[in-house]
Amino acid sequence: MSDKHLSSQFDSELTSVSTRVMEMGGLVESQIRTAVYALAQFSAEAATEVTDMEARVNVMEVEIDKELSSIIARRQPTARDLRLLIAISKTTANLERAGDEAEKIARMVRSIIDSGAARALPSSELRIAADLASGLLRKALDAFARLDVNVAVSILKEDDAIDKEFDGFVRKLITYMMEDPRTISSSLDLLFVAKAIERIGDHAKNIAEFIIYVVKGADVRHTSMETIESMVR
Amino acid sequence: MPDTAAAVQAKKNALELRKLYFFYGKFQGLKDVNLDIEERKVTAFIGPSGCGKSTLLRTLNRMYSLYPGQRAEGQINFYGQNILDPKQDINLLRARIGMVFQKPTPFPMSIYDNIAFGVKLYENLSKGEMDDRVEWALSKAALWNEVKDKLSQSGLSLSGGQQQRLCIARSVAVKPSVLLLDEPTSALDPISTGKVEELVHELKQDYTIAIVTHNMQQAARCSDYTAYMYLGELIEFGETDQIFLKPKRQETEDYITGRFG
Repeated sequence: MSDKHLSSQFDSELTSVSTRVMEMGGLVESQIRTAVYALAQFSAEAATEVTDMEARVNVMEVEIDKELSSIIARRQPTARDLRLLIAISKTTANLERAGDEAEKIARMVRSIIDSGAARALPSSELRIAADLASGLLRKALDAFARLDVNVAVSILKEDDAIDKEFDGFVRKLITYMMEDPRTISSSLDLLFVAKAIERIGDHAKNIAEFIIYVVKGADVRHTSMETIESMVR
Repeated sequence: MPDTAAAVQAKKNALELRKLYFFYGKFQGLKDVNLDIEERKVTAFIGPSGCGKSTLLRTLNRMYSLYPGQRAEGQINFYGQNILDPKQDINLLRARIGMVFQKPTPFPMSIYDNIAFGVKLYENLSKGEMDDRVEWALSKAALWNEVKDKLSQSGLSLSGGQQQRLCIARSVAVKPSVLLLDEPTSALDPISTGKVEELVHELKQDYTIAIVTHNMQQAARCSDYTAYMYLGELIEFGETDQIFLKPKRQETEDYITGRFG
């Protein structure tokens, strides 16, 4: 298809807002990476850094929303353009929430450090899930930049793997708590961290669903994997 | 689902176009157009200049037969009757399928007579009945309140937007079943445009409406179905929501998103 509008100004507006989403995504990604590092190393410094980044992410979300409103008001976009702008709006909301989850992880890390129980807990096992989740978000952003439906579908499948990791980790935490009730308080903090990681995976999955919406025009939320695959094929 | 079944059954077409071709002399203006225009719905025709949308509209009440050398082939079934049949009474047809043009075309006579003129051709009404008809038509066109105290003034004294609504009232006055609107608001300001669009919405409760417009957003705002035409062909036809959110054809997508060039 011809990718250019008659109005080159419209093209540059769309490019500009898409670029901003990628910038915001990059920021959230590094927020998550830093949170994972803070968790692995029990670094209070890294945890603080995550919290500092939060404010910048929030500002970006507001700015992107403003750009979106302006484009919709001036251009009355239709079809693929309209779907792209709706998807961008939803994607930024999901990115912002993924950032919130990273911030939550940082907060829990600080709480665990303060309790002094850090070393006794299976926090390293969360690394796998955390890497999976942040990798998934990166993949979702890459797929969004290229509007790659096949990658989007594979993200939907991978999110299930994170959910399974989460279930396994919860069972493990329960064992720890039964063996040594003194770890209950910190274990609960760790449970919240695990939940936050699982949520980041969900946000990546949501973004993947919007990619399918942009390209195929089909809303695949709350749809079975078989149906989605048949739609995409 | 009995509701859906009932809805499907209730769907009725006012006009069915089958293998419609149109020629301006040797030039082919329409190629094999097949389309159903549903009763009491608004069907919009969009497409670039010269795509055949106005030509199509002009075939629907045989407006073209005023011009020598222009002819249509195929079928246009109007409630089952092919109006392209040479035996079709054209005056009667135009009373049942009215048309409103791009530029307001009030007759150079009073507002009252603008409405009464057409009615007199088809019906023999008493003075009282005619008064009622004029008021009814002007009310239908949302113009009554603005002109009721100056019915004897010239139709030309009205503003552009009012003139266009007068023309719509004139079409409505003979109680047609279909209204054809050819770029009805392209000469009007946004407020008058809004009033005409509102009117379209009101009128579709009683009439079947086909509208040709250059203004894509207008088609999006006021139609139930949209047809995209290009070079005399019907490229895509579907529910307006579908056309503007997820068109099936790439050509339609390029046109409505402004990638056409």
